Amino acid sequence: MLKLIGLELKKGNLGWYWKGALIATLVIIVSVGLLPYVEETESQVFSDMAGAFMAIGTFVRATFIVFAAVLVAKLIIDEYKSKTITVLFTYPINRTRLMLSKILIISVVTFLSVVISNIIVVCGFLITNHYMHYVSDPLTADFLIEETARMLLYAVSAAGMGLIPIYFGMRKKSVPATIVSSILVVAIFNSNNPGFTLSSFIAIPLAVAAIGFLFAFWSIRNIEHRDIA
Amino acid sequence: MSYIVNTTHLTKQFEGKEVVSNVNMKVKQGQIYGFLGPNGAGKTTIMRMLLNLVKPSSGEITLFGQKLTPTSYEVFKRIGSIIEYPVFYDKLTARENLELHCQYMGLHNRKAIDEALELVQLTNVDGKAVSHFSLGMKQRLGIARAIATKPELLILDEPINGLDPVGIKELRGLFSLLSKQYGMTLLISSHILGEIEQIADTIGVISGGRLIEECAMNDLRGRHTVYVELVTTNIKKAAYVLEHILELSNFRIINDSMIRIYETDLSQAEVSKTLIMNDIEIESINKRHTTLEEYFLQLIEGGQAHA
Repeated sequence: MLKLIGLELKKGNLGWYWKGALIATLVIIVSVGLLPYVEETESQVFSDMAGAFMAIGTFVRATFIVFAAVLVAKLIIDEYKSKTITVLFTYPINRTRLMLSKILIISVVTFLSVVISNIIVVCGFLITNHYMHYVSDPLTADFLIEETARMLLYAVSAAGMGLIPIYFGMRKKSVPATIVSSILVVAIFNSNNPGFTLSSFIAIPLAVAAIGFLFAFWSIRNIEHRDIA
Repeated sequence: MSYIVNTTHLTKQFEGKEVVSNVNMKVKQGQIYGFLGPNGAGKTTIMRMLLNLVKPSSGEITLFGQKLTPTSYEVFKRIGSIIEYPVFYDKLTARENLELHCQYMGLHNRKAIDEALELVQLTNVDGKAVSHFSLGMKQRLGIARAIATKPELLILDEPINGLDPVGIKELRGLFSLLSKQYGMTLLISSHILGEIEQIADTIGVISGGRLIEECAMNDLRGRHTVYVELVTTNIKKAAYVLEHILELSNFRIINDSMIRIYETDLSQAEVSKTLIMNDIEIESINKRHTTLEEYFLQLIEGGQAHA
């Protein structure tokens, strides 16, 4: 499996992705910094630290779920579009494993991007906050640990959500369908919903991640039995 | 002799329409099998089925004596192929594409790539992305990829498309070499007989999804020999003279002015001399060959009439 992942990465160099991810992260930092000014009412965008962290997380995940769709388009849909899939599928390798290695790359890269980008944006925010005083409650170690745990959990969730577009993209082998479905996924699952209870804190993101993985596996079930036109 | 490829009652339907019907095809070990038929006859679909890219609606495929199932994978270590037109990871160079191929095939021999590139005479292409290649170069690279792992069976779909005459000749030589020197079995499709006539050991003709003829090339050559074509104004009398004076039985009246004489023991001069002495006006008399081309056209037209 590792070998297959290595070969996949050799085929499609991911340099473009990391560059795009870096730019997107910088854009998020600037937007988060500007948000209090854009929002005119004084009802505070960031009521407190927790609120700010939640907004940042939402921003970051939305971005990288769409990025995941671009990865899906490049790694999976493009193979069908350019017909290289007919080469790939005549190798003495289990087709499910070939597809799984692609899916694994997409979800791991999405997970890492969400985590890294989140950390960078939070740092950016804390630095700006130091001068601008958007929120004034102090940072405690407990708070940071809890937020980190939450962030990791939601990153897993995003990695799963990012896979849902595979299902829609694979139906007609369409790049637009892939991207558009990712935006819908963001709109539906990534809304900033206040009033989380403790149970929803763990259950919902994990359920969403599970849905994503199920969609992905559903898309590649029986790939052995399908005709490659 | 054992069969490398053997299909029984192979049939494929797409949306209710039969594109391959009841094909029983046998490719012997070590042979070059020419797979001939017009565009859209079902050649590519059959080849796709052999490679498990398309699943048969009914019927069975045996490769190397083993039944092909949707989850057969190991067998593809022994097969090299090009389907329709060669596709590559366009942004990579020729060498990178071949390296990828060898790794996926599980072959770790650095020399194999150089050898393959040399065999198809594709050199000096380092550092150039495949997207900049001409169709002919891609075709060569496709063949290089197919043969890089020295497979036992080569499945090549229209490999000569897009090549210039010199290239075609080189490739013919290469195919013979692969068959003779490396003992590979080749299945080569084409819609132009002339392309494979010279190298094929066996020919399978497909039309309208049905395999309408499968025979050894040598038999075919024997079957289609020379005839004398006679054009005259008096066809009845000419036929009489041929039958009763020259005692020929193997001739055919083609239309009201043309006769073909298939028996060639008599010289053309003798025939014309006898005809003239019997007062038959000869407009022309020629020795001709039925080309295999004509024969196949007839076969294919016949096949389509049935389809």
